This record gives sequence, C-alpha cells and structure tokens, in this order.
Amino acid sequence: MIDPYYLQQLAIGLSLGMTYALMAIGFTLIFGVLNVVNFAHGEIYTLGAFAGLVLISAAAPPAVAVIFAALAIGALAGFSLERLAFKPFRRFTDEASLKSRAMRESTLLSSLAVSIVVREGLEIGFGSQMQSIPFAYLINTPVRVGPVILVTGDFIIFGVAAAMLVGLQYLLTRTRTGLAIRAVSNNPLGAKYVGIDTDRTIIVTFVVGSMMGAAAGILTGLYYGAVFPAMGFIPGIKAFVAMVMGGLSSIPGAVICALILGIAESMATTFVSSGWSDMVAYGFLIVTLIFFPNGLFGARRERV
Amino acid sequence: MTMRLFGLLAAASVGLSGTAFADTVKLGYQLPLTGETAQYGQDFRKAADIALAEFNKSGKPFTVEILFEDSRSDAKEGTTIARKFVDNKEIVGVLGDFTSGVSMAAAQVYKDAGMPQLSQTASHPDYTKISKYQFRNIATQAQEGPYNAKWMLSKGYKNIAIIAEQTDWGQSVGAGFTDTVKAGGGTIVFSEFFNRGLKDYRSLISKIERAKPDAIYTGFFYEDGAQFLKQVQQLGIKTPVYSTSAAYSPKLLELAGDAAEGVHLTSNFLPTDPSADVQHFVTEWKAKSDGAVPGQFPAQAYDAVRIMLAAVEKAYPNPTREKVRDALAETKDFPGVTGKTTFGPDREAQKELVKVEVKGGAFVPVAD
Repeated sequence: MIDPYYLQQLAIGLSLGMTYALMAIGFTLIFGVLNVVNFAHGEIYTLGAFAGLVLISAAAPPAVAVIFAALAIGALAGFSLERLAFKPFRRFTDEASLKSRAMRESTLLSSLAVSIVVREGLEIGFGSQMQSIPFAYLINTPVRVGPVILVTGDFIIFGVAAAMLVGLQYLLTRTRTGLAIRAVSNNPLGAKYVGIDTDRTIIVTFVVGSMMGAAAGILTGLYYGAVFPAMGFIPGIKAFVAMVMGGLSSIPGAVICALILGIAESMATTFVSSGWSDMVAYGFLIVTLIFFPNGLFGARRERV
Repeated sequence: MTMRLFGLLAAASVGLSGTAFADTVKLGYQLPLTGETAQYGQDFRKAADIALAEFNKSGKPFTVEILFEDSRSDAKEGTTIARKFVDNKEIVGVLGDFTSGVSMAAAQVYKDAGMPQLSQTASHPDYTKISKYQFRNIATQAQEGPYNAKWMLSKGYKNIAIIAEQTDWGQSVGAGFTDTVKAGGGTIVFSEFFNRGLKDYRSLISKIERAKPDAIYTGFFYEDGAQFLKQVQQLGIKTPVYSTSAAYSPKLLELAGDAAEGVHLTSNFLPTDPSADVQHFVTEWKAKSDGAVPGQFPAQAYDAVRIMLAAVEKAYPNPTREKVRDALAETKDFPGVTGKTTFGPDREAQKELVKVEVKGGAFVPVAD
C-alpha cells in the first residue's frame, strides 16, 4: 500500500505539470517547430487571461464565451506580434540575409521588447496587483478521487491540453499547412524556392500558437484565480525548460517533459524546502543541455 | 573700500533672498512603482499624495515637494536611488523603501551620508540597527512574533507549523515567533520558507499536514496569503491559520473569498475605527481608489509621511538633514491613523496591536 501522501503529491505534480504543458504546447509550436526565437509568448498568455477577465467583469457571459474571447484576442495578439517584432526582419530577401543566424536571432530582442511593452502597458492600465475574478468562474471546486483530492480545473486542463496536442500533431503531420510549417522551419530559403508562401505560413503558425497561449493563460487564471501582469513570466520559463528538455521541436516531447517537471517539483518539495523547488527546473535544464544536447525526445532529425 | 562693502552687501542680500524664497523643502521617497511589488508602491504614493496635499494646503510658511523614485523592489536599484537622493543637496529626508531587503541596502548609503530615512514597512529587526538615521513606522516581527506566539499558546495550540516567505522579512517572522513558542512550552513541528509569488502551495500544504500541527503560523503578504488559503480550503484542511499584520489587507478577503474565513491575524490599523482622523483618511482614500478601503500598509505610509512632514516643520527654517533627523528622533505621541507613534532611543515605533479574525467576509477585532 502506497502512502496516500505520495499519491496526493503525485496528483499535485501531475496537475502542476499539466498547467506547464498547456503553456508549453503553443510555445513549442512557434519557438521549436517553426524555429523562430520568440520570448513574447508569456505576454500572449497574460493577454489571454486579461481578455477573459475584462469580458467577465463587463458582461458576465458563460465560461465558454470567455474562452472564445481569449482565443480571439490570442489570434489577434499573435498576428500583431508577428507584424511588429518579426516581419521587419524578413524584409531582406537576399540569400545572405535569409541564411544569416544573426537575422534570425535578432527577434530575441524585438520579441523581448514587445513583451516588456505589453507587460508595462498592462501594469499602467490595470495596476500590478492581482485582479480578483468572480468566484463562480473559478475552476477549482475540489473533487475527491479515491485517496487524493483534485479540482475540476485539473480535468478541464487535461482535456484542453490533450485536444491541443492531438490537434496540433494532426495539423503538422497530415495537412498541407503543417507540411508548409515544417518546410519553412527546415529551410526557409528552400521553402520559398519551391513556392511556399513563407510569410503566410509564419503568420498562421503565430496565430495558432498564440491562440493556444491565450487559452492557457485564461485557463490557468481561472484555475488559480490569479490574474496579474507578471503572470506569464514563470510559466514561460517552465515552458522553455520543457521545450528544451523535449528536444526543441517535439511537441509530445515538451508535454511529457512538462509533466516530468511538475511531478519532480512536487516530489522534491517532500525532500527539500519548497524554496528550492524552482531549482529542479533549472537543474533539469542544465543536465539536459550537458548530457542530452538534442533533448530527451529530439534524436530524430525531422522537426515535428 | 566702497567696492568691497558693496560686494559684501550684495553677497549678504543674495544670502538673505536665498533663505527668504527657499520656501520649498524637498523629500525623497523610494518605493516600487513597477515590477512585481508595484501595487504596494502605488498605494504608498497615493497615501503620500493625500498627506502632502493636506500639508501644503494648511497654510504653512513653506511647502514640501516629494520626489518619487521607482526601486522595483530591487536592492541594486534601491542603492542607486539612495546615491541620487544623497547627491541632491536639496533633499533633507527620505521615505521608503518597501521591503526590508531594499531598505537595508539603501540604508548603507544613507548611513554614510547622514540622511534620515523613515520606512513605512521595513520590519526586519536589523534595519534600525544600521545607524542613527534609520527610523520605521511599523511594528517589527520582534514585537509581533512573541505577541502572536502568546496568542496561539493561549488558545491551547502546542504543535505549531511555521511557513514564511524566503526574504529578510520572512526570516524574521520565524525567528521572532519560535523562541516565545518554545519558552511557552510549545513545539515547532514544521518550519519552511517558500519563494514569494509561488502559485501552487498544494505540495507544501500536504507536507505541513503530514507534520500534524495544531495550527499554522504564516508570514506572507496578501497575494501569497490568498493563494495559500484557497488551496488549504481546496485540500479540505481545517487546521487554523494565523498570520501577521502584513496579510491585513481588504484584498486578502477579495481574492480568497470564503477561504479566508476564520483566519486570525494582528493589525495596528482598523478602517472601521470611528475616530475622525481615521475616517478622514478612509474617505480621502476611497475617493482616490474607486471606493476601495485602505489596508494597513497605506495607512502606515500615510502616517510615515505625516511624521516626516512634522519633523521637517520642526526643523524649519533652514532644515538640514541633521536637524530633520533630530526632529524625527524627538517624535512623541504623534497621533496617526495607526495609533500614537513615539520613537524610542532605538528609533523603533512601538505600535499597539489589535487581534483580528475574519468573520463573515470582514476583519473583526476579537478579544482573544
């Protein structure tokens, strides 16, 4: 018989990992699969949460409408983000620029700049304190499963994350859009030469990835009942670690690693002070980079 | 000879006019206006604006200007601001910072420059020990810890768990409390620090419960507190939770809802206090914040600013940093919204604490 304490910790770890996975899916699609350095995903997540919050306080609609509002804002934010921080760097179409790593990696700073502007803008508009959400919208009603206690949000987040994962895998491997995304990520110049509309492909990826980011933001916001301008930072780091551990380009890999991360954090709390539990994520990142430079699931060359 | 006399006269008249028209005294206020603790700094600025506007309207022979600088709750920023304030010869006193860590880092600069510093919230015991220039307008954990320990022991709780945030202040929450519990025959069955801003406390809560405490003593601010209390409720745990005055904020009730029910904590400011001074502040505050009620921290900031202004007034005319410091040190029975403030020789404000329990969605003062 296993001590129910460990079962409870395992359940907490899984649900923690699930919230990381939710964030990691959209993040990995843009950063890993499309191979575009994007550090503004955390703010897309925050924007999604704020969009939902504004709608809730303005119109008190059903929860499903809130999610759709977040998705719409996410799509819009993804499109604008691409336009502002990424498109300007693609205006040189000569071969040297297209092959230049510096050109590609300069979006690190432009996306970071957008993220700072968005975060500070939200702080000016809403203040940096935690916003309160009407309790009726929160998805944290306790549910007892055998010896462990979960909340309704755990099941919702599990369902949404699974649907996102399956949907994206289908999109990437079975559709022409997915094929185009993979082609652009593999070789932007080659993709252009064979007639793929690279601009359109990149925009589509940003819109899809950002919709997922925004949905993650509102769901996590309702799950914890905590929406504030800096909320995207820590999940962004956890998603980054999960993506790198999973081998950058593998979405299932990132999801599995997000779950490993969550379980490891909650289990580590048993043995070390919880103040050290963040060390687990960074520890995993370092170990992965040293011993598995391709990530745990990134051995294959194909970028899916 | 005539030229020389004329020169002297000119110099004297410049000197005279210098004092005659120097009717604006400058103070500095370092506080987090952006970053993760900006909500506190924004509140302090609002409180300071109320206090300052009242002072400048009251027909004093001079007006006061406060320069606000954003420290982001970052010790490096804090010391940079401190140097900037010290270099500005017009500034005669400084308020802030918010956290003990940043206040103490900046205090090193103020100590060397001889600049009086009054923090509304820095409650780490070592802060006022830095030099004779550091003052504070808050009960320290050295005062509050033993008070809460006796309160919990008197309720019959013997096995107590402590959790506090991993900061200078959080450390002092544990330290001030533990000794009194042990001296009173109690046992600390669990003690741990968490990172500020942690979202998921469930692992930690399960771990606390495994130690089977009679009650949990917590050192957190309202956001962390609200998350913690909500998750305690989620996990179906009924162990009583006690906390410090740092968690005393209407936002705690707003964010945690009925999960905050039954929490015990201490405070030195009650917005429901019928005294005219308190009600005046509450009204002014509500007018500036969409009807929201002020918590304890803004009240402390409001008093701190007024104590500083009173000291400047006492040091006037020609206030210098040294004169303001001495005037601050002489502060006796200053009637504030957080009770009467007197600075002892240790530059600590002795505050009267009130026991409060959350009942029916409100902070209610209780006898024991």
